[in-house]
Amino acid sequence: MRSKWTPVLPILLLLLPIAAQAQAPGVYAITGATVHPANGPDIVNGTVLIRDGLIEAVGANVAIPPDAAVIDAKGAHVYPGLIDAQTSLGFPSARPQTRRRGGGGQRGAQQEQLPETSPAYIAMRNVNLTDDDIDAARGIGVTTIVTAPAFGIFNGQSAVLNLGTGTAEERVIKSPAAMQISFNPRPAWTFPDSLMGVIAYIRQTMLDAQWYSSARAVYDKNPTVGPRPETSESLEAMQPVIAKNLPVVFVADGELMIRRAQKIASEFGLRYIISGGRQGYRFADDLKAANVPVLVSVKWPIAPTSKEDREEQPLRVIRDRQLAPTTPSVFVKSGVTFALVSGAGKTGDFIPGIRKAMDNGLSADDALKATTIWPARIFGVDRQLGSLEHGKIANVVVSDKPIFDKEAKITREFVDGREVRLPSPDKKAGESAPSAVDGTWRLTVRSSQGDVAVTVTLHNENGALTGTFSGDKGSGDIRNGSFDGTTVEFTVAVKGQSETESSDWVFHGTLDGTSMSGSVTTSLGTVQFTGSKGR
Amino acid sequence: MKQIAERRAQIAGFTIALCLGFAAFAQNVTVIRDATILTITHGKIEHGSVVMRGGKIVAVGLDAQVSVPSGATVIDGAGKYVTPGIIDTHSHTSVDGSVNEISLPNSGAVRIGDVLTNEDVNVYRQLAGGTTTALVLHGSANSIGGQSQIVKWKYGRPLSEWFIPDAPRTIKFALGENPKSSNFRPPPGIPAQYPATRMGVEEVIRKSFLDAKDYMAKWDEYDARKKRGENPIPPRRDLMLDVMADILRGKVDVHSHCYRTDEILMLLNLSDELGFKVRELHHVLEGYKVAREIAAHGVGGGTFIDWWGFKAEAYDAIPYNVAMMENAGVVTVVNSDSDELARRLNLDAAKAIKYGGLSEDEALKLCTINGAKLLRLDHRLGSIEVGKDADLVIWTGHPFSTYSRVETTFIEGDVYFDRTKDLAMRAELAKEKRDRLKKEADEEGKNKKGKKEPANG
Repeated sequence: MRSKWTPVLPILLLLLPIAAQAQAPGVYAITGATVHPANGPDIVNGTVLIRDGLIEAVGANVAIPPDAAVIDAKGAHVYPGLIDAQTSLGFPSARPQTRRRGGGGQRGAQQEQLPETSPAYIAMRNVNLTDDDIDAARGIGVTTIVTAPAFGIFNGQSAVLNLGTGTAEERVIKSPAAMQISFNPRPAWTFPDSLMGVIAYIRQTMLDAQWYSSARAVYDKNPTVGPRPETSESLEAMQPVIAKNLPVVFVADGELMIRRAQKIASEFGLRYIISGGRQGYRFADDLKAANVPVLVSVKWPIAPTSKEDREEQPLRVIRDRQLAPTTPSVFVKSGVTFALVSGAGKTGDFIPGIRKAMDNGLSADDALKATTIWPARIFGVDRQLGSLEHGKIANVVVSDKPIFDKEAKITREFVDGREVRLPSPDKKAGESAPSAVDGTWRLTVRSSQGDVAVTVTLHNENGALTGTFSGDKGSGDIRNGSFDGTTVEFTVAVKGQSETESSDWVFHGTLDGTSMSGSVTTSLGTVQFTGSKGR
Repeated sequence: MKQIAERRAQIAGFTIALCLGFAAFAQNVTVIRDATILTITHGKIEHGSVVMRGGKIVAVGLDAQVSVPSGATVIDGAGKYVTPGIIDTHSHTSVDGSVNEISLPNSGAVRIGDVLTNEDVNVYRQLAGGTTTALVLHGSANSIGGQSQIVKWKYGRPLSEWFIPDAPRTIKFALGENPKSSNFRPPPGIPAQYPATRMGVEEVIRKSFLDAKDYMAKWDEYDARKKRGENPIPPRRDLMLDVMADILRGKVDVHSHCYRTDEILMLLNLSDELGFKVRELHHVLEGYKVAREIAAHGVGGGTFIDWWGFKAEAYDAIPYNVAMMENAGVVTVVNSDSDELARRLNLDAAKAIKYGGLSEDEALKLCTINGAKLLRLDHRLGSIEVGKDADLVIWTGHPFSTYSRVETTFIEGDVYFDRTKDLAMRAELAKEKRDRLKKEADEEGKNKKGKKEPANG
């Protein structure tokens, strides 16, 4: 446990004099509100006393000390700050546009060849939270996030951060929180460019990490044994993972992907957490049996906008879309440890997503736990965070209505015992605004065998495109999507009559109002495409 | 457009059908009585019975000779035909994501078994065509592709149940145009990748095996030093070299995509030179020209009966290829390489009677026992014999007639497709779909209203 602080401590010590100059946390008494402590029953007309950054007392009969600034919150509701345990806040959402071949032959599977991210990437050191990021989160009552980049395969070591004032280092609650791994194939022609390649890559990296520790151990014991093994930052960073000291967060949404993650975890004896998990309703009992915590993304699947597209979808997809939001309530029944997270969604979609889970059977009480004490437990910070009780970090939120209500407004907020700025009402995080590329596009690819129709539905999230495709060449999710305002890029896995025609098609297009054109790179060469946006 | 509309309707129908699944999955005893049983290995039995219990065939013979166990489910097979489940040794169905890890000349480290999905509707459609077992292969973009996976199409069941416990491990090789050209025009910024010629393909394969031999020697040396009581630094395990070494050890079967004579002979010579075995040559459209050489190497051939001309290396194909290879002693099968063709491999097998004059029995083997042999599973698959897996198909007529349809498909005694039940459940599933879409539309309408109100107020 001590080792996790080693890299942080010297930095913190250096910053100590600066921190001391910042506004000292004060003494506050929030009175008259309904207090929802998250670890016990609600307290009507309760008081929450904050002192020196920590919660001093919570209850119905708390004596208010003379030095406390009293905040009359009559009629309001007080909560522990919400924890959003899966975000990529503070990181660009699209992968940097570097393209490099994976190298040939046997060295192809080595981890050094992934330029974007690696196990050695430390989120705490690189996170760049903007005021907008922080305001948006605070505006809905989120005071703590877990964050790591979303691109790449080994996304790096995530961090638990308080969204308080001060420097990034002062915000750190825990780093590393977990090693985050995503099943993201890389662009075509770059290892690994397929899902099976990604799995092989993860497996090889785990093997390499095991080899690294055994080779080092032998060499350290007897340096004359032979040439010294190479030093690798990435494999060094993997050591706490294979020693089970650091959990892996596998970003895996559907049942199949979760089972793939579980297979890897059991192969290498990893401690792990699943993030995504929207198909968890299908096999909650298995997840319970495996005793694996799940960070359930409340970015629920959405129906295509056009009625025709909806009707064309198989029942399986429609059914899944409607049942996904039952996952949290099914988890409560099955006893699966879980948290609700915004995941790949925008901060502004977090509370509406939670509401949808509540519409599908999750109680308000469990929704609160799933965004406070449960994520705190999953990341091992429940002694500091997650509930309103004596000695915990004073992350406290005052809401004029029950916090998950549609009309609720956060009126006061404390992080680390300091009152923080809230976004002005007009800046309050809205639900995601559509971007120019959002929508359904009907594309025609001029392939060597004639025109091929492909319909893609695209959704832009800060430059990263997600969505689906369908048409003459099969259907599925798009991959590696990006959008920079004019240039669109995404990959689809097409299926042909024969395997010889089956491969990835990489679209590089330019947007011009409601039309799009560009090239498609296929395994058999590059062809052109044009298309326009549907209704 | 009409075609598309029809296909959509088809897709909708089938998609709906798959959602409920049929299998009862009890260890029930099922008997098919009074059917024409095409045993494959022991001829045709008219008015015959097959008894399935515990997933196996426990009795087969004339009705008079086979007693019906008490409590058995009895299916009247009068006028119907029963065959073993059809085996497709060249499938790409049910792969999640790309079938090619295209980036490396040797992507042997990747495994198709890692990325199968049990939600591909094509699996259900293939069950409706009597196909029960498949070798799901990596694509042909690389000289040495990924490890492939033998599965039974147990649609509706967890993937773990699709794997056959004693099935051999397999790997895909590919020769000719695909591996040499898959990479020759990559997108801007990515350099073209070796190999670009057939010579290069050969060299990639040779080099991979030579590297594997070095790798094996390193491990042997390590083991020897360990035995001597030393504590040496272990070699690094490499998933790609692991599988190459296992090919050399005979633990992984090579299934190679190929078309032309020169590359076929190249691979056979290479296997002699380096000491590995090729299990099956796939496509092998020019196999008839070198059938003796293929047979002499004990290699099987999986081909299309009348599908050619789709690229330069596929121009010298003839429909007699199947019969000529089979007659030369090559264990030959008809392959699908296609979600669609895999639904009617029985008809492709039938064409070998017209083209090349195989007997009915010989032709039946092309999609049953021969495939089982090439997958090294003929001890449990490919024919109707006591002790083998109860993977059976009931047809409305002889499977070589275009008018025949599959009525019921069993895998290990459980029903995975049943035409009557399929038709019966369609209405119910269509209703569920309508209801669910309506629910969504209603909610959307409500939300729209809800959103407008504050603006008006």
